[in-house]
Amino acid sequence: MADPTVTGYAEALFAVAAAEGDLATVEDELFRFAQALRSNDELRSTLADQGVPAARRQQVVEDLLGGKAAATTTALVSMVVGAGRAAELPAIVDALVERSAASRNKAVATVRSAVDLTAEQKERLASAINTRTGRQVEVKVVIDPTVLGGVVTEIGDDIIDGSVRRRLNQLRESFR
Amino acid sequence: MRNRRIRLLAAPLLALVGVLAFAGPAHAAGATVGACMAGEIEHLIEEAHGDLDHVKHELHDNKKVQDEIEGCFEAPNPIIPEVNEIVWGGLAFLILFVLMVKKGFPAVKGAMDARAERIRSDLDAAEQAKADAQAVQADYESRLADAKGEASRLVDEARAAADQVRADLIARAEADAAGIRERAAAEAEASKAQAIADLRAEVSGIALGAAERVVQSSLDAEVQGRLIDAYIDEVAGSNG
Repeated sequence: MADPTVTGYAEALFAVAAAEGDLATVEDELFRFAQALRSNDELRSTLADQGVPAARRQQVVEDLLGGKAAATTTALVSMVVGAGRAAELPAIVDALVERSAASRNKAVATVRSAVDLTAEQKERLASAINTRTGRQVEVKVVIDPTVLGGVVTEIGDDIIDGSVRRRLNQLRESFR
Repeated sequence: MRNRRIRLLAAPLLALVGVLAFAGPAHAAGATVGACMAGEIEHLIEEAHGDLDHVKHELHDNKKVQDEIEGCFEAPNPIIPEVNEIVWGGLAFLILFVLMVKKGFPAVKGAMDARAERIRSDLDAAEQAKADAQAVQADYESRLADAKGEASRLVDEARAAADQVRADLIARAEADAAGIRERAAAEAEASKAQAIADLRAEVSGIALGAAERVVQSSLDAEVQGRLIDAYIDEVAGSNG
């Protein structure tokens, strides 16, 4: 069951982004920022530290995103961090992405890969997933060097692992 | 007791008989010979009417007178004492006898009775002591026999207990030794298996690390693109 706080924030961010008329861009920038927050412990702890004044934490957000992301994206992240919800920001963004995809009658396929996928590869992968699962999906790519090569796709609770890492792990298990 | 009393009474009677039988003849002889000769001579003088020559003649020539004179020299009965001696002796005897009966005999009797009683009590005490000694000896011998039996039993029990303890110790030592051998064997086997597993993990880790480095070095953009394309084709081809 989804956390009501996370769901509430996601709905709010979705409404603001939709109202600003730049939902796709904001959604994509929020998703990337959330992935950066997941992979950077120091940034996550700094933004979530309640001992640091909210203005100081929001200033960090401004320094990171100001001029690089849409103003709406910067404002929404600053709002969440200022409210002391930086630790929940990745979950809020995930809920936002799902909410946005659901608004288009689609599911979210999180794709982890060592390198970014081309637009053509994303379309082919979405089509292939549709062929396999019968669901329309939007592909969200997460750059994860630990995958080494290949792709790991997560759709809800389903995982399709075609990574080199998995094959190495299988090889490691076979040695035992 | 009765015999002793009879013997005490017989003693003075025998003394009386002795006095009567062996009274001194000297006293009787001295008085009797003089008086006898004086009487005979006086009788001759009276018959001769004072004629001393006739008396002398009679003494030398008359056989009868000579026999009478000679008869005066014959000893009186040596057994029979003088009457006065018998009287005084009997009186003294009676006094002595009465004193002995009244004083001496009870004292002697009391002393004898006391001595007899003491001897009897001593004998009884000796008998009792002997009985006690025999009882003590029997008790001692009984206790000695019991003690010997108890000692023998204790020795047997101690020997049996020692044998049991020795057997238990040997069994326990053997069991411990067997357990130690089994544990040592199991530990050796486990150590061997662990060493093999560690070695295998080490070798596989080295091999996988090398393989990972080779893979990383070979995963350029082109290879990554082909891997992604192959993955997409696989997802599309598997169809659930």
